[in-house]
Amino acid sequence: MRRVAVVGIGHTFFGNLSEFDLVDVLAFASGNALDDAGILAERKIIEQVIVANIGGGILSHQTGIASSLVSRMDMEPAMAELVENGPASGASAVKLGFMAVASGMVDTVMVTGGELMRTVTGWEATDFVATLLHPEAEYNLGLTLPAFGGMFTRMYMERYGVTERELAMVAVKDHDNAAKNPFAHVQIPVTLDAIHDNENANVVNNFVAEPLRLYGMCPVTDGAATVILCAADSPKMKYFTKRPPVYITGIGSATDTHCVHNRKDPLVLDAVRLAAERAYAMAKLTPADISFAELHDAFVILELAISEEVGLFPRGKSREAVVAGVTRLEGRMPINTSGGLKAKGHPTGATGVSQVFELVKQLRGGAAKENRQVKDPKHGLAVNFGGFGNNVVATICSKEPTW
Amino acid sequence: MVDFSMYEEAVPSVFAYKCPTCGTLYHPVPMVCRKCNARRDPSGVIYSAWEKVPLEGRCRLLTWTRVWNLPEGYDVKYLLFGIAEFENGLRASGRLLVDDPETGMSLYAKAGVVKKKGDKELYGLMLDRTP
Repeated sequence: MRRVAVVGIGHTFFGNLSEFDLVDVLAFASGNALDDAGILAERKIIEQVIVANIGGGILSHQTGIASSLVSRMDMEPAMAELVENGPASGASAVKLGFMAVASGMVDTVMVTGGELMRTVTGWEATDFVATLLHPEAEYNLGLTLPAFGGMFTRMYMERYGVTERELAMVAVKDHDNAAKNPFAHVQIPVTLDAIHDNENANVVNNFVAEPLRLYGMCPVTDGAATVILCAADSPKMKYFTKRPPVYITGIGSATDTHCVHNRKDPLVLDAVRLAAERAYAMAKLTPADISFAELHDAFVILELAISEEVGLFPRGKSREAVVAGVTRLEGRMPINTSGGLKAKGHPTGATGVSQVFELVKQLRGGAAKENRQVKDPKHGLAVNFGGFGNNVVATICSKEPTW
Repeated sequence: MVDFSMYEEAVPSVFAYKCPTCGTLYHPVPMVCRKCNARRDPSGVIYSAWEKVPLEGRCRLLTWTRVWNLPEGYDVKYLLFGIAEFENGLRASGRLLVDDPETGMSLYAKAGVVKKKGDKELYGLMLDRTP
């Protein structure tokens, strides 16, 4: 298998981009990545374009999006395909790009993930995401992803004793990080007093899906992100001298039952654990080697549960890490340095690519100018969580190759 | 006989499906039995059609939520949902009709109207205190 380097990254602002065309949003992130890689003028060296998007057909009434992006960017005759894998689409697209390069089929791939979700009402966006549930046994009942987030949160709180205050501490940490990230959707710091401790906190932090509150959930967000991959042994690496390469050293994915109720223990996220184990095995690393992580906190409880499932903390103990500040930027294991889905936002098709963008940015040392740089990171882990844990992709990026 | 039941929307029942080979119950129905690998054939032509068993009776509430932010098409203030486990170990998600639920409480599962699609009514699993 060939080594795969990330040689360019691009990002749009996350927020309300509903005045723009979906392909323009994808193209903006793509252009930023081509600029970052220093190959805007030589962009035809990209052989394969992979686009991650879920709702183009439903929300933007647009199909054939990958071909459209290639044309918008004047990158013909690059091969182009669309990847749809629910909220894990972005990382799946990165994984398929990695496979294309590692296998030797191509040398260069551009992966762009993006979504426009604010073109419709919040009710319609919630319904759109809920279509990934089982149609008969879940969706028809009126169940949504926040509903599963609420039920998962209650089970987790009852089993491990996590409190609402500890969940609010995760949100405060994510908002602190997002406030320093110029691409984040909600760049507003919040205090524990405002969203939990104050007797009037309910006014700004009411229930959405009990016991989950507004500040326990990600916003509805538009945006796009791009990574450019190149085979480390390719002569085309001569084009990528503008930035130091970062390496994808491990990538793995796994699936679990479509219906949450069919899992032996609904609190055990088998797909998360297996995806991470596969990524660690490829990278020849263990959880102890990870310097920081971007974890799919569409609901803040998932930051805790995923961090335990991938081995960063023992099961039921991540709450102690949160209270001790271990997961803060300056802590021993910074989590969601970008602000996470919670505050950076979750444009579904973009999220997995945006997580890898953040890993690369931190490993390059590029977050220092935003005053949110992790100290001397060597390996970053991203977990992109599809459905309610039924399709998960874990990616490890490293400053130096590990194999 | 061809089984078109999956296309019927207004059936006043919710079903579990029984593997004809090993008897394992499923909800929702898979295409292959997880335990014995027996295949299901919706047409009943090549393999056996699986027996439909009404999904109802005593169950225990494993977890629940009250959702205040509902998707398009629900004209109510909030809805409650739960995951329940039947006495035989089968689990299902359902609409919770108890306004003050507690994890672990005993419930009764039955079919009820969950949604209207045009002039048709869709049935789903309801979880209530009584039959």
